[in-house]
Amino acid sequence: MNITEGLESAFQSIKSNKLRSFLTMLGIIIGISSVITIVSIGDGAKQYITGQFADIGTHLVNLKMNSASENIEKRDYYTIDDVKLIKDKIPEVAQVIPSLGGIGSLKTENKSKRMYVSATNADAEKVDSVKIIKGRYINDHDVDTKKSVAVIDNKTAIKLFGDVDIVGERVKLNVQDKNIYVGIIGVFENTNDSLGLGDSENMPGSMIIPITIADKILKNTDISILAVMLSDISHADQTSKKIIRLIENKHQNQNSNKYVAEQGFKELDTVNKVLSTLTMILGAIAAISLAVGGIGVMNIMLVSVTERTREIGIRKAIGARTSDIRLQFLMESIILCLIGGAIGTIIGISAGKLLSSIVHVDVPVSIKVILLAFGFSSAVGIFFGLYPASKAAKLDPIEALRYE
Amino acid sequence: MIIKLENLVKVYDTGAIQLKALKEIDLSIEEKEYVAIMGASGSGKSTLMNILGCLDKLTEGKYYLDEVDVSSLDDNSLAAIRNKKIGFVFQAFNLLPKLTAIANVELPMMYAGISKAERCERAKEALGKVGLSDRMYHKPNELSGGQKQRVAIARALVNKPAIILADEPTGNLDSSSSEEIMQIFQSLNEEGTTIVMVTHESDIAMHTKRAIVFKDGHIISDNIVRDRIISGRLKL
Repeated sequence: MNITEGLESAFQSIKSNKLRSFLTMLGIIIGISSVITIVSIGDGAKQYITGQFADIGTHLVNLKMNSASENIEKRDYYTIDDVKLIKDKIPEVAQVIPSLGGIGSLKTENKSKRMYVSATNADAEKVDSVKIIKGRYINDHDVDTKKSVAVIDNKTAIKLFGDVDIVGERVKLNVQDKNIYVGIIGVFENTNDSLGLGDSENMPGSMIIPITIADKILKNTDISILAVMLSDISHADQTSKKIIRLIENKHQNQNSNKYVAEQGFKELDTVNKVLSTLTMILGAIAAISLAVGGIGVMNIMLVSVTERTREIGIRKAIGARTSDIRLQFLMESIILCLIGGAIGTIIGISAGKLLSSIVHVDVPVSIKVILLAFGFSSAVGIFFGLYPASKAAKLDPIEALRYE
Repeated sequence: MIIKLENLVKVYDTGAIQLKALKEIDLSIEEKEYVAIMGASGSGKSTLMNILGCLDKLTEGKYYLDEVDVSSLDDNSLAAIRNKKIGFVFQAFNLLPKLTAIANVELPMMYAGISKAERCERAKEALGKVGLSDRMYHKPNELSGGQKQRVAIARALVNKPAIILADEPTGNLDSSSSEEIMQIFQSLNEEGTTIVMVTHESDIAMHTKRAIVFKDGHIISDNIVRDRIISGRLKL
């Protein structure tokens, strides 16, 4: 008997016992469909979360001063020239955003408001994803020419002017003992609400000024953090090291260990690890149901061998070898499991799709999962079919022929 | 010589008792013979059939089938011998109930590794020979007892065996079907097929050419049937 004939006889026998075959398959169907559903949802969740992180900048690397280093001097801090240098020398870098900050107040003739002042460059618009509602954000020209301009939030605009249409107005910015006049070039939407901090009058407003005018107003102008956006995340570690070496050369403090690079979203790794573990645990539980299904297959195959003892005797009498009988029964359990596996795969994928439409997370159908299902179900078929098949193959033909 | 038994002994070891089913049997069956093996139940005739059919192993002695010493062969070789050299016809027909007549007849050829097309052709030919060309695609439960036995004979014939072993082939049949089956065996024998048939019915044994009678594991008589009929001892 060859494989094709084995297949034929397996299908024959499965067909002639439809209900029993289906019930036997049910265990495999449930096992495979739950494994597939869980693995797909796990994959989908991972993709979804990765996507969410990508939106807020997985490509972000924060260059900081190493807080463990004790002798950081003034000359070690990042400078505006460093920003240019990094952008020019490291091709993997898309944007570099320096930032400085301080608390001050903004004054018109008769009103004033406390402000959080951030000094940065034009690249920050993309990274911070601010929403400009009037005018524009600060640009490279503002930075290069040290223009005294500012972008403020809409709530401050309304507080001070009663309107957001205030581009071109001049206001006086006061930080401790320093004062400058800045021209307002834009208004952005205040998103403090989203932090759940409420809309308190006492909440400071926020404004953005070119980093090049920070020395005129802010007390501390040592840049201790640079946010670097990479165009390619795949070699983030190497790129970070390259940047640090560049900075160290510039500041002539090679191997001083004064700078550190932090991957913007280490959390992503953690989340993915947790998800993987969770998927694995749930998958293992589902795999147990697959094993139970396999035991069901074995049980039915054993019943089938007993029932068909006479058939086995007849086949042996007319020349079937031990291996022919083994192949016949093994094929039957494999086919049973593969059909169950195929149905389970379809159900699993559908269940995944259904769930994804409910929770609005795209669940991918990966070839990996389908191969996994087929691999699993044939393995179950072989593993749980082998014993009944060998039992059938070993039957004594005379005994088997006498069996009623 | 198709079959040659030398000093054949079969002992069933049931643990407590050793049952000697066959005691030093010497027997030769020539090509184209038509032999009846007779005896009461427990006489050892079924044991002999199982050994002749390579389903059971002998305890002592030698068994040559078509010049091959069968007693020394392993299971796979025995399966091959059963497949190619022996055609079984059983009392209970032993067809596979879920297969059609033609599929049943094809089965031995499948185990012989013959291609599907040739199998089909030869099965049709064999079924034609037993007069069942019109019932080829029926399943056993749609056939009468006589028809089932004819399918079984076609299955036994289809690999062109050296010998056909029939174990009470008419035991489950009415007399007219029995007659039909005996006719088929007769013509097969005339065409040159060697047939060994176990029976306890003397009128069935009368169709054969040689009758061997067993009792308690011994051969007690071995006669040419025609001689017996002539000598007036119709009762075997």
